[in-house]
Amino acid sequence: MTEKLGESQKMNSAEMLQKLKQGSVQERTEAAEALARIGTDAAFAVTELAEACGDQPAVSEWAIAALEELGPPPTSALSALAELTGSNNTLTTYWAITLLGRAGPEAVSHQEILADMLETSDDMSLKQKAAWSLGRIHADSARAMTALKQAALSGNARLSRLSRQSLQQSQT
Amino acid sequence: MVLRKSRFSLLMWLLFSISGGGITGYLKPDIPVLGPMVANLTSKGKTLATQGGDLLNGQSPHADGKPTAVAGRLASARQPANGQPQTSAGGRQGNGNLLIASFNIQVLGQSKISKPGMKELLAHVIRQFDLVAIQEVRAKEDNVIPELVAAVNANGSRFSFVIGPRLGRSHSKEQYAYVFNTNTIEHDPSSIGTVNDPNDLLHREPFVTRFRARTQSPSHAFTFWMVNIHTDPDEVPQEVDALADIFQVMQQARADEDDVILLGDLNASEKQLGRLGRIPGMRWTVRGVMTNTRQNKAYDNILFQGQATGEYTGRWGVYDLEGNLGLTRDQALQVSDHLPIWAEFRVWEAPALNSSVGRTSPYN
Repeated sequence: MTEKLGESQKMNSAEMLQKLKQGSVQERTEAAEALARIGTDAAFAVTELAEACGDQPAVSEWAIAALEELGPPPTSALSALAELTGSNNTLTTYWAITLLGRAGPEAVSHQEILADMLETSDDMSLKQKAAWSLGRIHADSARAMTALKQAALSGNARLSRLSRQSLQQSQT
Repeated sequence: MVLRKSRFSLLMWLLFSISGGGITGYLKPDIPVLGPMVANLTSKGKTLATQGGDLLNGQSPHADGKPTAVAGRLASARQPANGQPQTSAGGRQGNGNLLIASFNIQVLGQSKISKPGMKELLAHVIRQFDLVAIQEVRAKEDNVIPELVAAVNANGSRFSFVIGPRLGRSHSKEQYAYVFNTNTIEHDPSSIGTVNDPNDLLHREPFVTRFRARTQSPSHAFTFWMVNIHTDPDEVPQEVDALADIFQVMQQARADEDDVILLGDLNASEKQLGRLGRIPGMRWTVRGVMTNTRQNKAYDNILFQGQATGEYTGRWGVYDLEGNLGLTRDQALQVSDHLPIWAEFRVWEAPALNSSVGRTSPYN
């Protein structure tokens, strides 16, 4: 039954990162899959995984799987993740926003970027995730509050609900 | 009071927007006003079905919380660690009951099933059960589940499947599927649907289908709704609470159906079930054990209301991929980051609250 299922290629952290960034599609896929198999230990590659969400589908699916299991990103990655919110790829932006939110109050210094996303993005999934993240990081700036109050009036049920919840979280 | 009213509204909306065949399908198929709702349901994605069963054995069984020695195919399922997996007993030939499983097959797509030996291994696991609720089908193509079921049937088994639409808020989508042994289970083709979620409470709305055990007396056979769910790990408390409403809606979806089995990757342990766990009489089978391959999280469960679903035998388990199949941890993680979980049910309808209601027969 298991004769044909081989052991996966063993890669250390540096190899995984190198392949994920510079390898062929197959190597990038293998690196993303290897990272998805190590759970929260893949945190060292969080920025590269967020970038890989915008890669080809085979790579992207495993990068997303890795990020889903990753939990909060390390503090050292927050600035890079904030930069990735400006990516041209929606999935990379989506996951950068999500990871900032998962970081909680440690990411509050990036609240203006998230408020801007909430105000100006044309993509509802990004607006919703920005509203969610602003609550998680306990945003408190005037701009963030204004953006959340405005979004709370949205006709989109989820955006409105998340914005209201985030306003409550920010006030606690 | 406001909250209660809001929940009631949600309940009523869900009640009137789910059923492809639940409340509207074959009970009152000619009610024209409900037509658009059914169309709306199906327009979220096409539902596929193919022909396809034999079963083997299985897993680390428990009798209501305690590991137990069991007979038949459950016991034999524990053997393949070092020896040959038993390939004989199919379906109910083991002990006459149904084994219903849930399996999050991480990133189940073309790249996974193309790996040497993977399709055959997954097929072997699926054959252990009568009905498997699968989460995380992630494929741009539509051939992944058909190919997998073909591998299941390669040994002469007769499994079939139903698959839901691609779901998800971002560009990354997932599908739910049910793969089942047609020798032991049949589905109601008019009951297949995805729960309508107008307030967008759930990232991936549950995929529901009604099944019936195949017996020589169909009118007395165990029938039940399956509600397949994979929650968003970032919004677990909210989603699990929403599932409480959906569970209760499903209980009311048909006057002649009181059995609702909600199962899947909840991203929540039995201690994190929120309102879902507080539904009076609610039972969850998986307790006190880990369900992920790394053995440090309890994410998956099978839930139903104990009063209604007296068909549950009390036996359940987590299928140990490493122990049963002789895999290393690395190989098991190539299969999935989750382990299959299962529970056992009798094939005959047990007396319950709605047992006096006659059951119609829309099954193929």
